[in-house]
Amino acid sequence: MSSRGSGGRTNGTLPQTKICQFKLVLLGDMAVGKSSLVLRFVKGQFDEFQETTIGAAFLAQSVCLDDTTVKFEIWDTAGQERYHSLAPMYYRGAQAAIVVFDITKPETFERAKAWVKELQRQASPNIVIALAGNKADLAEKRLVEYEEAQTYAEDTGLLFMETSAKTAMNVNELFLAIAKKMPKTDTQNPTHAARHRGVNLQDPDAHSTRACCGGN
Amino acid sequence: MAVHSQVNGTTAIPWRSSRRKLSLLEQLKGCQEAWCPGAPWDREGAHAAISGTPAGSFLVLRDSVTSQPILLCVSAGGENGAVLDYNIGNKGTVFQLNDSRLSFSDLAQLVLFYSLTRDVLAVCLSIPRWIYSVTDKNKDRLSQLEPDTWLSPPEQQTDEMTNRELSNVMCSIQLTSTNGALCIINPLYLREHGDDWLTHRASTTPCSTQPSNYRRERRLSTTRTWAGAGLQSKRAISLDQEPSAAFMESSGLTRARSADSPHCPPAPSTPVAPAGVVLRRPSQDSASRLPHRASTGSLQPSPPSTPGSLNCAASELQCHGSPVPQSPHRVSWIEDGVWLPPPRPSSLLQPPSLELDSLSISSIEEEQDFQMPSPTPHHPSAHRLADKVIHRLSAVGQALGGLVSQKKRLTNRVQELSERRGGAFAEAVKGFVEMTLKRGADPDGVTGSEFLQEVRSKLTSLRDTLWDLPEIQALLDSITDLSDPAIDSLVELSLHKVALKPVSAHLYSCIRTSRTNDGCFERLRSNLRVLEQNGVEELGGSAGVGIPDSVSLERIQQRWTAMHDAYSPNKKVQILLKVCKSIYHSMTANASSGTVFGADDFLPCLTWVLLRSDVVTLQQDTDYMMELLDPTQLQGEGGYYLTTLYAALYYISSFRPRLAARQLSVEAQHSLNQWHRRRTLHCNQSRRSVHRRTIRRQMCRVQNSETGTESKEESGRENAADQSQLQTESSTEALQPLREETGRGQGGEDQSQTSTPVLDCHQQEVIQEDRQEDRQT
Repeated sequence: MSSRGSGGRTNGTLPQTKICQFKLVLLGDMAVGKSSLVLRFVKGQFDEFQETTIGAAFLAQSVCLDDTTVKFEIWDTAGQERYHSLAPMYYRGAQAAIVVFDITKPETFERAKAWVKELQRQASPNIVIALAGNKADLAEKRLVEYEEAQTYAEDTGLLFMETSAKTAMNVNELFLAIAKKMPKTDTQNPTHAARHRGVNLQDPDAHSTRACCGGN
Repeated sequence: MAVHSQVNGTTAIPWRSSRRKLSLLEQLKGCQEAWCPGAPWDREGAHAAISGTPAGSFLVLRDSVTSQPILLCVSAGGENGAVLDYNIGNKGTVFQLNDSRLSFSDLAQLVLFYSLTRDVLAVCLSIPRWIYSVTDKNKDRLSQLEPDTWLSPPEQQTDEMTNRELSNVMCSIQLTSTNGALCIINPLYLREHGDDWLTHRASTTPCSTQPSNYRRERRLSTTRTWAGAGLQSKRAISLDQEPSAAFMESSGLTRARSADSPHCPPAPSTPVAPAGVVLRRPSQDSASRLPHRASTGSLQPSPPSTPGSLNCAASELQCHGSPVPQSPHRVSWIEDGVWLPPPRPSSLLQPPSLELDSLSISSIEEEQDFQMPSPTPHHPSAHRLADKVIHRLSAVGQALGGLVSQKKRLTNRVQELSERRGGAFAEAVKGFVEMTLKRGADPDGVTGSEFLQEVRSKLTSLRDTLWDLPEIQALLDSITDLSDPAIDSLVELSLHKVALKPVSAHLYSCIRTSRTNDGCFERLRSNLRVLEQNGVEELGGSAGVGIPDSVSLERIQQRWTAMHDAYSPNKKVQILLKVCKSIYHSMTANASSGTVFGADDFLPCLTWVLLRSDVVTLQQDTDYMMELLDPTQLQGEGGYYLTTLYAALYYISSFRPRLAARQLSVEAQHSLNQWHRRRTLHCNQSRRSVHRRTIRRQMCRVQNSETGTESKEESGRENAADQSQLQTESSTEALQPLREETGRGQGGEDQSQTSTPVLDCHQQEVIQEDRQEDRQT
């Protein structure tokens, strides 16, 4: 069923935009703020263009870049060590990953490095990996230096930002940076790809385009 | 550019034309001077005025020189009266908060937006309630308002305007799938009550004096199909029978929701006329209802999360009377959370097939197929009514979009085609059924996942055959109001009915054989004994997370049963999603507001539930879904929760208390490889996914060649089906996966050897060594 609002806000025809859909997996130790980070991103955006989901472990959100709408399907993973082994089921086939650590807990940074290593070894070869030092609002309790993480990220070729799900610092920026890095040729969107009866102006995805272009 | 040019596509339907109600945006614009005062007001003055007001109270300040709005001051609430400042940027003709990327073509839109969503703000802006009552007639008063009036607590605003108008406020529907609101009137309601009330403002609500007609109102969200209206009525009927328990549960939901929107009090559970799903009317007799409501003790809206919040400080009348005009805009994720149907006590359960959160036509129709006898025969009236509603519902369906009939037409046509003597499709279906029934029974033949993969592949070719039929083409082309994926899934469902239904029992028995042989069931059973005493915290869940109580657990069990009984993998996934949803409910039931539960908690909770369920059957269902679901359906939410179910079962079946936590990695991966192959193997066979060039597909190809004999037949078929695509693919693309595969191979040589696939979980001992090594790194 076409579920989201359609047709409502458009007065003219929509510009043809490319729609790219990506699977993004969230990794990181328990309680580093994975879900909060994503929730901040998803709920900070324009609500109408959000897909309704049943819970916070799976969320979807689109961002708009120039002529491209990038839709992220965000797969959260359980950070507990005991469930570590299940992670491949989640990152398998993911085109992007955010590895999150808590800047007040050095052990979570170590764990993040392990994740990065595992992803680089085992995930899709072209996966875009971002490292997020979360809880940047707790700077006074910081135990992982910005430079340290920054250097590590540079050495390993990761995107890196310190974020705060609490204050929203760098949250949208992080997702935008990832979106920019994604290969835009990969149109996986089934809606887009499967269209064989001509252009459907009611396409909800096309609307997301308008939603997130508000910025600039 | 401007994100918000139209006010969420909501159009208020004037209740009485003589007193046109202004849109909130107009209202805001009308009193812009009040919340965006000019010259004498500066930051200090604004802070002084705002400090101590409820959270979200705000003023916008202008630059003393340019008169441009520059600063948004918002009360953070709380005891210290903190006021937060946000700079407003003004680029040409658009306004935006400096920290945000969203821009608005005028200030009122900005304010409106941030009253719904906080985005970068610490709290949502709060708009005084009285503003909703401004109409054409009294709008000139708006311009005379001052910031102090704007900020003053609502108690002082109960002037004549408020009193007179409030009860008259809410009369439009909030269903905003398009620019113009879609108005749905349940025909059942019309039949019972006539349509006088549409034109006359009757002073009594027809059913208000009959307690048995109390209804909870449930607003439709844009993400629901209109069918929700009818379903709502159905739910309401069942609720009539057992109000208190259900309501108690629902108050938990509202509490959870208040975290999201501290300033929009949960809309009171207003008893409305039957089928008052969409059309609201002002209720003037609300006071007379109060006593009864109090006696049920269940309809009280939960207290606002921020005491003193503007909206909730309003009078009893407002809280309990006509639906509080939160705003004419709807915010799907907020509402959706609120209006999720509360779980009901098991003793009064309708069969799961009548669950109301499956707000789609298909669920009503289809599930009737396997509806269980009602466990509560002493409620015949509820059932009779439900039937009535269903019939009415389908009438509405035909009137509005004809979704039901389209679906029915498709299903019937496919059925007909499958029975047509000598027809190509009929022959193909017949061949498929015979072949399938024969194949699995062969003791030397392939079993388990490989077999199921073949079945999936044949289903896909059957679907292609179907697509090729001109009659089907014509039929599908006539369906204009459904998205392609929706149509895909309709076709898929009708195919399941003719092809999968006859063989599903057989497929299950093949899965059982295979899983028995690989020892999976055995491991599940024995580990269940080890793990079943574990609480959710021992499984890794955080301290505050709730678990389903016995009632919810009972409902979940019933859903598992329904999931098992469904023959269509798509339907099964839908039921799985309902289970996950109720698990989320339980998780948040006792949590403090604002707590977000992601996978860190969901996986342990699901595992906890599984440990109290029939894992052996669930394993079979999981295999069935994973193997037979159309690969395109495996993306998105369904794919996620199916993966999670799979992962949790895997965790249980492979649990070794003494071994390192990462023991499973390799088997898990192996299994995933298999699954992944499954998921993607046939992607490219689907005509409709011809352009879907994913890494996965190439990956399966590589895997196929790696595993050699494993699936010659399939890859052959695949290649044949798909030649045109191959030509378009560059060689580099095809090579990439190789790298990945070799990378993955390390640590698990065994992996590639074991071409006995998937349903195989027992090589961990050997592999574990490798993992330990991995772990050092």
